[in-house]
Amino acid sequence: MTNETRPSETRPSGSVGLAPHEDALLRRTYWAVVGRSYWRGHLNRIATFFILLIALLTIIVPFLANSSPYIAVIDGHREFPLFRNLTRVDWIWLLWGFLASFFALIFWRTGKRNIEIEPLRAQRLRWGLALAAVGILLSTGIVLFKNDYLDSRDYHQLARAGELHNAVFPPLRWGFSDQEPLDANRLYETPSREHFLGTDSNGRDALARLLWSTRIVLEIGLISEIIALTIGAIYGAFMGYFVGKIDILGMRFVEIVEAIPLLFLLITFVAIFGRQLFMIMVIIGVTGWTGIARFVRAEFLRIRQLDYVTAAKSLGLPLPNILFRHMLPNGLTPVIVTFTFGVAGNIVSESILSFLGIGVEPPTASWGAMLDQAGNPGEVFRWWLAFPPGLMIFLTVFAYNITGEGLRDAIDPRTNKTI
Amino acid sequence: MLMYILRRILLMVPTLIGMTLLLFCVVRFAPGLTTAGGAMAENSRQAQQAIEEKIKKRLHLDRPLIVQYFLWLNDTVHGNLGESIQYNAPVAQLIKERLPITLTLNLLSSIIVYLIAIPGGLLASIRRGKSFDIAWSFVTLALFSLPIIWVGDMLLAVFGNPNFLGWFPVGGAHATSTEWMTSGSYAGDFLWHMVLPVICLSYGQFAYLSKIQRAAMLDNLGLDYVRTARAKGLPPSVVTLRHVFRNSLLPMITLFAGLIPGLLGGSVVVEHIFSIKGMGDLVVTATSARDLPIVQAVALIGSIITLICLLITDICYALADPRVSYD
Repeated sequence: MTNETRPSETRPSGSVGLAPHEDALLRRTYWAVVGRSYWRGHLNRIATFFILLIALLTIIVPFLANSSPYIAVIDGHREFPLFRNLTRVDWIWLLWGFLASFFALIFWRTGKRNIEIEPLRAQRLRWGLALAAVGILLSTGIVLFKNDYLDSRDYHQLARAGELHNAVFPPLRWGFSDQEPLDANRLYETPSREHFLGTDSNGRDALARLLWSTRIVLEIGLISEIIALTIGAIYGAFMGYFVGKIDILGMRFVEIVEAIPLLFLLITFVAIFGRQLFMIMVIIGVTGWTGIARFVRAEFLRIRQLDYVTAAKSLGLPLPNILFRHMLPNGLTPVIVTFTFGVAGNIVSESILSFLGIGVEPPTASWGAMLDQAGNPGEVFRWWLAFPPGLMIFLTVFAYNITGEGLRDAIDPRTNKTI
Repeated sequence: MLMYILRRILLMVPTLIGMTLLLFCVVRFAPGLTTAGGAMAENSRQAQQAIEEKIKKRLHLDRPLIVQYFLWLNDTVHGNLGESIQYNAPVAQLIKERLPITLTLNLLSSIIVYLIAIPGGLLASIRRGKSFDIAWSFVTLALFSLPIIWVGDMLLAVFGNPNFLGWFPVGGAHATSTEWMTSGSYAGDFLWHMVLPVICLSYGQFAYLSKIQRAAMLDNLGLDYVRTARAKGLPPSVVTLRHVFRNSLLPMITLFAGLIPGLLGGSVVVEHIFSIKGMGDLVVTATSARDLPIVQAVALIGSIITLICLLITDICYALADPRVSYD
């Protein structure tokens, strides 16, 4: 496209006498400025890397902790059991992980080139929409046409019996629901060379479950927050745009929902609607939107008086168009911070529900459920089941909270100066 | 002043009605409403039918929907919260037994939270930008991120487990035999049992409160009256402690109402871990058994407590700040 020496007509007149690097500073997009300010904090960087690590784990965990080998010769046939046994969810995670990293690469590459901001935005938007469309199409295809393969073979048994030749196993030879045989009586085993973090109440490998839990944590953390964001943004947008009766009534409803303690509301919904994974996501989502609604409302109250909204109105644009295409993109900035804190809150909510025994149904691995299995610490304390999952919850939640604080400081120049 | 309080209470009525309507609707339109509690396998068919009848009678399912709500509201206002399926006892009585311990736990925790968060925020604002400020905000954020389920387990394992340190009792709110105790030692025993649960409940709340305290201090430090006080030649300690600190306490009053929902939610977990027979423990067992009357009543009581705290906060604020007009 353009190269950096091209004289630009859109260059602001004030930048004539500036050095090239200062010129580049002027041309940076809003998010590039925020990103730079954010990336300057060491703690922010560590937290971001940790979050990316958890996300990576979520995507590749079937290849790390699985009881079936990558490749093996069974009865004279070469087979790929692990790849055959990948479920729909595994494939969808792989697909979205690939698309997300592809988009991140585009974002990063185009950010380095010194091109005009508007074409850059349009380019990124096009790429983002194209990739999202591909992702939605392919994941629908996966859901419709891929059947989960039920593998009844026990590869540990086969390997012991010597019927498995040239087998290449994953680093950890246990999945999240693979149990030691019941007659082996290997429940609640302390860490050993076979089970690096010991076994739980069903003789399952604790480390494998620890790794697989990242999946449930991210699924619930992100999807619930997206649900909350959708509800909160639409609700807040309407309240902020129509000042007056709708606003007053709407805010009363927000106050009502906020008056009910969150955990009580969660428990009530779980008692009524059950505890399937999807239900838990929706429940955590529909109970956590009030904060976002407040934020979006406050932003809309400010934005609705700006000239471009008046212009959009006078052009006779339809209301949803004004609200969601012109105002929402500008009013969503502070919500990013709430989103990050919200993910952390959802992770905590999920782990508490699982810990109380009313979270996602077993045998799904979850850090909260693992903590629950550690038993009553007043009597028998199984530290190998209690310590690691708690530490993982703490680190993940801490990482998201640090990211939220860092983003808030980067976005709001006023708080930036207080530290 | 009395008029102000009355007005505040009247303003609360719509919220209260909306809240009861929400909780009523949530339970009324629950799927499998009349089979609630049916998960218990030992229930015979007859017992099942008796439960169904009970629920139908309680919810007046033969009347129009709007009448159902008002009849339910009427019952609730008169203290009839339905009958528990699990315990076969009136819910109101169950809650009455368990409410005091939960309230005490919350009150003790909120006192501890204020006692630590306020000095922390004060020091952080005085040492603004110095190492204490940065360390304090980091530590409180870390504490805020520590999962309560983990901390509870760890505290109990280290300080409660008789095989390890065994300094504190492992559960409950009282020793097993309390007959021999005088009222003094009874209170001491109770407080001894409350140490670990209160630590568990309070550590996560420091971050937000001390942040607000610090911000309020910094806001006040930039005002004119501080410059006047300094110009008079007052020593810095008098300026900060007597002038600025007292003014910065005002926003802290309003935070009390925001603290309570979090504490109530936390006490569910804490009571579960430390096997304290409180309201949270009640609601967890009720949820596993799909005992909807209890779940609904506990949510209702929790929200009413929150609203009452909101009211108290408003009144305290009006008392503390003479600028708040009473009309």
